[in-house]
Amino acid sequence: MFGLFGTSDSGSARVQAIEKKRFWMEGDDLIVDMSTPFVEHIDEGQDMVINMGPQHPSTHGVLRLELVADGEIVTKCTPHIGYLHRCFEKHAENLPYPEVIPFCDRMDYMASMNQDLAYCVAVEKLLQPKLPERVEYIRVITAELNRIASHLVALGTFGNDAGAITPFLWCFRDREKILDLFEWLAGARMLYNYIWIGGVARDLPDGWVKKATEFLDYFEPKLESLDGLLSFNKIFIERTANVGVIDKDTAIGYGLTGPNLRATGFKWDLRRDDPYSIYDRFDFDVAVGQGDHGPLGSCWERYYVRVRECRESVKILRQALPNIPEGNVMEALPRRVKLPKGEVYVRTEAPKGELGFYIVSDGGGQPFRCKGRSPCFSHVSALDYLCRGVFVADVVLILGSLDVVLGEIDR
Amino acid sequence: MKGYFKDMYEAGRSLSIGLALTMRHLFQKTVTMQYPDEKWELPPMAKGQLHNVIEDCIGCDQCANVCPVDCIYIETIKASSDVDLGKTSTGNPKRLHVLRFDIDMAKCCYCALCTVPCPTECLVMTNSYENSVYDRKDLIYHYAEYTPAQAKRLRAETEAKLAAEADTKKKAMEAKKAAAAAAPAAPKPAPKAEADPDSGQEN
Repeated sequence: MFGLFGTSDSGSARVQAIEKKRFWMEGDDLIVDMSTPFVEHIDEGQDMVINMGPQHPSTHGVLRLELVADGEIVTKCTPHIGYLHRCFEKHAENLPYPEVIPFCDRMDYMASMNQDLAYCVAVEKLLQPKLPERVEYIRVITAELNRIASHLVALGTFGNDAGAITPFLWCFRDREKILDLFEWLAGARMLYNYIWIGGVARDLPDGWVKKATEFLDYFEPKLESLDGLLSFNKIFIERTANVGVIDKDTAIGYGLTGPNLRATGFKWDLRRDDPYSIYDRFDFDVAVGQGDHGPLGSCWERYYVRVRECRESVKILRQALPNIPEGNVMEALPRRVKLPKGEVYVRTEAPKGELGFYIVSDGGGQPFRCKGRSPCFSHVSALDYLCRGVFVADVVLILGSLDVVLGEIDR
Repeated sequence: MKGYFKDMYEAGRSLSIGLALTMRHLFQKTVTMQYPDEKWELPPMAKGQLHNVIEDCIGCDQCANVCPVDCIYIETIKASSDVDLGKTSTGNPKRLHVLRFDIDMAKCCYCALCTVPCPTECLVMTNSYENSVYDRKDLIYHYAEYTPAQAKRLRAETEAKLAAEADTKKKAMEAKKAAAAAAPAAPKPAPKAEADPDSGQEN
């Protein structure tokens, strides 16, 4: 477990506590002892340990939360991860570079294009192929469309967590249109394997750009109607605006990135601050929380930053779609990917936050080490801070507003 | 007290906006589809069930090499010279018996990487997607033209034939060598001395 998270500090009190409890590992076998509570110092008469998940519908995947509740108030929340661990990093060490991409798809399966883009940008930083302009444009367009799709799931499920079913269905209806576009483009609905090292898998089909523009025309009014339906609903605001507040410094301290950090009012977007691909050519604003309702960094702000980001993505798409240059998308595809010796870390702005890939190459055709920096992992680590002193029902909301995907945390 | 009524008003107002939206939705076209009765049309490049046109397969093993999950199993044997396997529809000569070509669709991750290097374009992803089965074994699709028993027999036969061919080839080579050694009337003993340990090894 310590190897998995990169912890080597066996002397710290926390690690010792884990060893004492023999919580995870016993010898070499993976043993999860569900009966022993992780938390120490439980007041037997006062506190109650509630096990939420791993099959709880509101944990958005297989996340197990161990809540210590004093009546209705949560005093401690310990997330347990690892139920979806599929050894991505170890698999990557045994596969040639292009074959890692289908595994990257399955990290954050809500935004596969963004995962592929991050991995390919990392590999290309070492490989240095001469990418055609057309490829760069297609990549940005697919990544932004997928960002919208990912945010729509986040918005819809957050509404669902708060008890509103209609926005959930509306968001999924609109997301379906994006998935249709991707199915036409890449052949698959969720796991595309479309962005390849040095190019993309195939060129845009005839009429795809027109269909994508039509989608934008369709989508913008729908986003407005989502405002009326859910975002500015007084009941929804009352329910979410003062829950799970995290201030800017604490958020940075916990390593929050992406919409969750921007909701605290901090303008930090890697597309603007550390541009990769061709994001520096587009004119867009960084969506930040503005404190319209309640304090900054609350659940409502985290929700609404995602709505604003959808608008910014539409803005980027409007600039990119009419300007795709002609060219051959396959011309820079290497026949065999063999990287020079070296190591590289590339961070990109995935829908969930800062997604990084650290790749060490020993000069062969397979990565020597491939590490993914998952934004959701940091978000889950802030859960204990956010959940202390809130009602049990609010834990569901806080988790929904953080928008974690377990496939990415466990990899 | 004023705030209380203001909140009530706000709640009622925003609720009515939302309800008006949903009400309008009643008169719109439905977006759902009654799935088993009506189906949407898949785009031509959709990634569905893998299919191999075995008549065109030359058994080059490239698809199995690029598969990230190793779900393609190929066994081949070289055809003996008296057997002509013909050509594929793309004109590539077939030189190998494809004894086994199995695809485990339960393992397949539908990435379509295997269809890219195929030189005869015989391995394709079809549009079929309703392939549920009751037994996991049924998800292993066999494409080879031979049953396992036939494959075993063919392998034995072909191996024997190939060994015989290699033998006659070797003998012909030896005879050629001996002839070449004998022709210069042995003024130099060196090539003959070289030929002798060779034949000794081969025997």
